[in-house]
This record gives sequence, structure tokens and C-alpha cells, in this order.
Amino acid sequence: MTAGAQRVTLIPDPGSEEVTIPVVAVSAGSETYGFPLSAVREILMPPPLTEVPRSAEHFLGVIAVRGEIITLVDLPTLLKLEVLDRQPLGRVILVDVGDELIGVAVDRVVQVSQLQPDQIEYASSMSADLSEYVVGVARVPAASSGSGDQMLILIDPGALLGGLT
Amino acid sequence: MSDPRDNVQQEFLAEAQELVEALSRDLLLLDEAHQRAERPDASLINEIFRSVHTLKGIAGMFGYKHVGTIAHALEDLLDDLRVGRTDIGDPLLDVLFDSVERFQRLLALDDPQAPEEAHGVDAYVAAVRSIGTQPAVEDGDPLDQYAIGSAVLSVLTEYEEHRLRACIREGMQLYRLRATFDLTAIDDSIEALRDVVHDDAEIITYLPSLEGGNDESIELVVLLASRVPETELKAHFEGRYGTVEAIKEQKHPPTVPPNLTSIPPSSRSLLPQPEDETGQASLRSVANSVRVDIRKLDDLMNVVGELSLVRSAVGRAVAGLDGDPKYRQPLRELDRLGRGFERQLSELRTRILDVRMVPLGQVFSKFARIVRQAARENDKQVRLVITGANTEMDKLIVEELADPLMHLVRNAIDHGIESVETRMRLAKPAEGTLALNAYHKGRNVVIEVEDDGGGMNAHKLRERAVSRGLLTAEDSQDLTRQGMLDLVFLPGLSTNTEVTDLSGRGVGMDVVKTNILRMGGVVSIASEQGIGTKITVTLPITLAIIRALIITVGARLFALPISAVREAIPFAPQDVRTIQGRKVITMRGETLPICDLAPLFGLRGARQQASRFVIVCEMGNRELGFVVDELVGQEDVITKSLGATLSSVRGFAGATDLGDQKLALVLDAPALFSEYFDGGEALPSVEAHA
Repeated sequence: MTAGAQRVTLIPDPGSEEVTIPVVAVSAGSETYGFPLSAVREILMPPPLTEVPRSAEHFLGVIAVRGEIITLVDLPTLLKLEVLDRQPLGRVILVDVGDELIGVAVDRVVQVSQLQPDQIEYASSMSADLSEYVVGVARVPAASSGSGDQMLILIDPGALLGGLT
Repeated sequence: MSDPRDNVQQEFLAEAQELVEALSRDLLLLDEAHQRAERPDASLINEIFRSVHTLKGIAGMFGYKHVGTIAHALEDLLDDLRVGRTDIGDPLLDVLFDSVERFQRLLALDDPQAPEEAHGVDAYVAAVRSIGTQPAVEDGDPLDQYAIGSAVLSVLTEYEEHRLRACIREGMQLYRLRATFDLTAIDDSIEALRDVVHDDAEIITYLPSLEGGNDESIELVVLLASRVPETELKAHFEGRYGTVEAIKEQKHPPTVPPNLTSIPPSSRSLLPQPEDETGQASLRSVANSVRVDIRKLDDLMNVVGELSLVRSAVGRAVAGLDGDPKYRQPLRELDRLGRGFERQLSELRTRILDVRMVPLGQVFSKFARIVRQAARENDKQVRLVITGANTEMDKLIVEELADPLMHLVRNAIDHGIESVETRMRLAKPAEGTLALNAYHKGRNVVIEVEDDGGGMNAHKLRERAVSRGLLTAEDSQDLTRQGMLDLVFLPGLSTNTEVTDLSGRGVGMDVVKTNILRMGGVVSIASEQGIGTKITVTLPITLAIIRALIITVGARLFALPISAVREAIPFAPQDVRTIQGRKVITMRGETLPICDLAPLFGLRGARQQASRFVIVCEMGNRELGFVVDELVGQEDVITKSLGATLSSVRGFAGATDLGDQKLALVLDAPALFSEYFDGGEALPSVEAHA
């Protein structure tokens, strides 16, 4: 697996030419989360799922992607979101967490947003007690016109998925 | 892995490892020749020299200081050996054998410069040097004392140079004989000269002189060594053959250090000479092979898997067209092409698997050293006989096999083969024999570790098992002799019983058995008291593909490696009894504990209990029946491990793709056994599920 080759960051380097940060926005339950595009390897239609008995609840099972066996994590369960009526699997994003590719099941992939640094409010500057995997929040115009701004919760995939058991 | 420096490092380690393995194999041959009191083959010593020389070179490049230091010292020693400055003997072989282990350990270090290793390295180098400086060499190079001339020395072959030195050491005088020979009969004349000279002197070499000779004749300068006084030699030769001139000893030996004589570098070159045939051969073999990271082969295998998915997708698309008469012809053609494609695909798969194969000799050659050392420590005489070193197996298995086999080998020497005195008393040959045999048997490779030692006392094993509470005295009465022998694989029986330097490292036969089982193999034992013991290990040729029984539990597919399965029988729920809270059935008069996989995995099993099956598995002398819903069939499967995230979930060795992205979890039979019988550890993942 060619994991770890790419640098994953949500914080632009000071003085870096690149001013926008591309983020994959996904919806899970009623919330929208942003994964840095640099960590997302692929977006898939859910392949056939094989459950793994005796594994923790947030693991949906394993899937086969190009000959690799990949663990599929359910984002709503992992984030302990309240899901009123659970839809069948929407999309799977393959996320690189360094030494492993992990499939993350989400309801829907909303869009890829180019975030300007000033759109992002970093967790370190917020008083709210946020989980360690939340880097910050960003306000983005909604994909569908006329529904106002949307809150995008920016995720650090390494902190959320790395070392997950 | 993406760091190019890491790659280079890996390359170096792989190459160094190969050199050390080659060194180990060659040393074994050298040792054999020595034990047979034969003169070692000069090309073999050259080969060893070259391995060490190359190792020194690359170690220097990659900052493996200690490896380089040792290689350097050995290189000097081997050079001495090569040109006869020192002779082969046990101390020399000991340091050489020792080097293999040192190299391997030093190559495994994280820090190739580790300062704490320096002391050991220095001590070793001192030991090497003490062998290198035999008295003969302390005198300095005897050639220095003679004005032979660099032109002559530079064309001497190593053997000639060696003989020259040997003659000087034996106190022979050197002479230069000039003789003119008829060109047409030169070979005969030289032969004749050889015969004449034979008693009085030894011809070291002969060279055409630059002066004498004409169209029909040539003047040769013959370098002679002789014990006969000069006057006598002159009387004998002069006139008849030519002139004789003594080469005088120089009064003042040259001031250059002994190792840097006037000999030009070309004759002592460390690199193989271009005209050297063996050198060419080895270069060629290097050019024809490439080293490949085994992970790249896995990637290739994945591509093959992907291709077969494409193939089946095409098949489905084609099937959609079926029934339409106008497509009948092209469909038939497509079908034919599809089958051809499938054949090529399976050929490709076989070829890739073939690339993973390495000869078992790679691991066997390590044992020569261990046997040598263990025999010496134990004061026993052991002859190692290896057959089937060319038998090929998957690289990963060969690696995994090293430790269990090493344990068996040590056991055989430690507990099996008797001391020389005991053997003499029993009228056995003083030298014990330890045989390592490998051969193919169907889809498996069989490896036997056999000794002609004392064998095992089956009844003693039984007593020990009972006294340790591993077996009730009552049960033990029913055991057959084989059953008693098999007790040796029980955990707690062989562990720590007889702690010795060799095998008593707290690792028992049960661990050996578990490790072999984990690789999908089987271990069995045969032993006759007074005659010997044979441990037979049967392993699949490759780990990549194992034969598995595909079953369902709760409508989910699972694969159970067939190596663990003894038989499958229909489940008869009415026959289930409970003993001490454990469910058992009776099979052919024997009680068999059973474990229903459905509740174990938190799944709902088939409602029709009577349609279910019991898969009887055997492992480490214990039997357990797994109750499953359906038997689907047997299949060759490629097991892939679950990611790090799921590695803590017990009971599964991995997953396998059954085609069309349909996965089956591969059951880890050893883990399920130990969970059932030994209770295992707490299973946090089960709680999380509830």
C-alpha cells in the first residue's frame, strides 16, 4: 500500500503559494464533515460488505477493493451521531491514515470544497470543548442554492481513524 | 517505503544477506572437505574470499562499520589462506563459522554503528588476526629475501607463488636455469626436463626469455627450487641444458612491510581476474537475476485478482446477450476467448507464485553451524546429512520455518543423540547422525528431522503427563504407544523440563507444533527407543494459497483451512450432552467437545439444527468439533490479513476473496482452539458488540 507518501494537512504552510485547502465534504446523519482531499484516496459505491463477528460496533466489516481487504468504519456510529432512520450505505471514502487505508461509510458525498484559510475557524481558537479529531469548522455556501451557509466540521483523519480498534 | 534511502538500505540488506548465505554454504563445503582431510578446492576459497570482499565493499558504502571491520579482517585471513600463507584448520574454520552469525546479528541491528558492539567486534577481529599471523607469516614474506624480479613474480599464478614460498620455507635454494628448446618439440622437451629435474629440484615456472632463441628455437628461463648444492646442480645441468644461476638471498630485506612487497598489484589483485572463469560465471548469474521485494509480488497477485473480476464481469455482460439468435455465433466465439483468457490468468497466477519459491537449502545451511557448535558444546560427535536442499517453498514459509526447525535440530542433539561413550557402549557408531530431509509430496513439502539417538521412552512421557496433571491416570491407560509419544506436543510437558544451554529455552515442542500449525502445516513424531527419533513436518508449498473448506454460519461464508480439518459429520442435536458445562457429542465411542460457531460469533445459526454439520478439527492432540450451518465446498484460497484495525479481533486469520468481491473470513483454528480449551483472554470486542 502506498500509504503515507502524501502529506496530509489542513493548515496551510506559512507563506505557501497554495492558499486554498481542498476538502471532501460528506454528510453523516444531519451533519457535514470535511476530510482533507489529500487524505482521501478514492470515493466508491459501497462494494459487497462482509461483516466481521466480534468486532466493535463501529466496524461495519471488510470490503475488497482491488484485491486489498479494507476495513469499513461507519462514520455515524463512530461519531455517536443520532441517526433517526438509517439509510442503506450511501458512499465509501477510502482514507489514508498512514499505515492503512480505511473505508469510511458516509451517507453522501456532498462536494469538494476549496476552503480559504479565512473561512476556517480553528479548534485551538475556539472555547468549545471539541473532540481531538476536530481541526476546526468552516462555513461554506451550500451545494444546493438558496439554503444558506453550511457548517463543515473539519476532521483530522489520523486522529479519528489512526489506531482505531 | 517511499523513502528512497530506505529502499537503498533494503537493497543493501538483501544483498548482504545473500552474501552471508553464500558464505555460509561455501563454508559448509570447506568444512566437509576439511573433515575428509582433503585439500580444499582453491576456487572454493576464492569464492569465499570474494563474498567477504564484496560484503566489505558494500558495508563500507552503507555505513555498516562493524560488518566492514569484520569483513576486512576476514578478507586478510582468507587472502592468507588463498595463497598458502596460512593453513586450514579447526580454529580457522571456527572463526569463519562464527563470522556468519556475527554478520547476521550485525545486519539486524537498527544502528549499524552501535558503539556497544565495538568491543565484541574488536575481540573477534583480534581472534581472526591471531590466526592470520601464523609463525610462517611472522617471518615476513620469504620472497622478499630474493631478487626474483617483479616481472617474473607478476606472471606467477597463485599456485606457483604459493609453491615458491613453500619451497623457500622448506629451505630450498632458488635457481634460474636458461635453456634453449626446439620450438617444434618444446612440450616434450619441457616434460623431459621435468623428469630429469624431478629428483633434484622442483620447477616453479618457466618463461620465455627476451634474449635468446631464433625462428626454430626459444630460450626459456626456468625458475627452479632445489635442495641440491649449487655445484652439483651446475655439474648436472650445465652444458646439457643450459646455464644455471643461483638466485641469491638479499642481505638487506626490503624495508617495505611484508604485505606490501615488490609484487605488483595485478598478481595480488583482490578482484577476480577477467580471465578467471569462475569469476565470469558468477557475474553472469548476477546479471540474470533480480531481487524483488515480496510485497511487489503481492501487488502483482492483486492485479491478477482484479483481472479475474474483470473476466467475470465480461462473462456476465455476455450472458445478458444470450438467447438472441443473431448473437449465437459471436457468443460462441466470446465464450471460447473467455476460456482462453481464464487459462492464461491461472498460468500467470502460477508463475507469480513460482517466483516466491526459494530452496530450503537457505535455511538448512544455517543448521550446519548450529550442529557443529551444539555438538561441540555437548561433547558429542554429530554428522549432519542434508538431502533435498533444492526443494522449493514459499519464501515466507522458509523464513518462518527457521525457528521451529532450529528447535528440532537442537533437541535432536541435546536429547536425542547420545554421548560418544554411551554410543560406544551400545555398539553404535561413535558419530551420531542427524538427517535433514526435504521432499515434495503432492501439494506439500515434507521436512524430516531424524536422529539415530536414544529415542523417546513413551511410558515415561505418559508418566510425566499424568504427574503434571495434563492427563488423568485413567485416560492414560487407553493410550496407544503413538498416543503416548504424541503427548510430547502437549503444552507444559516438554517446557522447562530439562533446561540446558541448547534447547531448554522455555520453548517446548508444543510451541513448535503451534507455529507449524499456524503455517497450515502438520507435525508428527515417530520414535523407537535405542534407534532414534524422527519428527516429520508437512507444510503447504505456499502460504499464499491454502486449501480451505468453505462453510456458512448464520448465512455468512467462512473458510476453514483444510489442514486442521479431520472430517465433517452431520450434526445430531439429540446426541448432544453436557459435561461440566461443555457440550459434547460421542463419535465412534469417543467424546468430542463441540463448539457452535453461531453463538460464538453472535450470529443466528440455521433453524434446522438437524441439517447442520460438525467439522471435526484436530490440533495439538486435541479435537474439537465446530458446528456450522452448511458445507459449501473446498477451494484454494489466498488469505489476506485483516488490517491493523481489526487485528485484535480473535478467531480470524484474515479474509479471502472468493470472486466477485465476495469475501469469506478465514478462521484461525489454533486461536479458536486455545480460546476454547485455555479460556483465552478476555474479549473486549465482544462486550463492545453487546
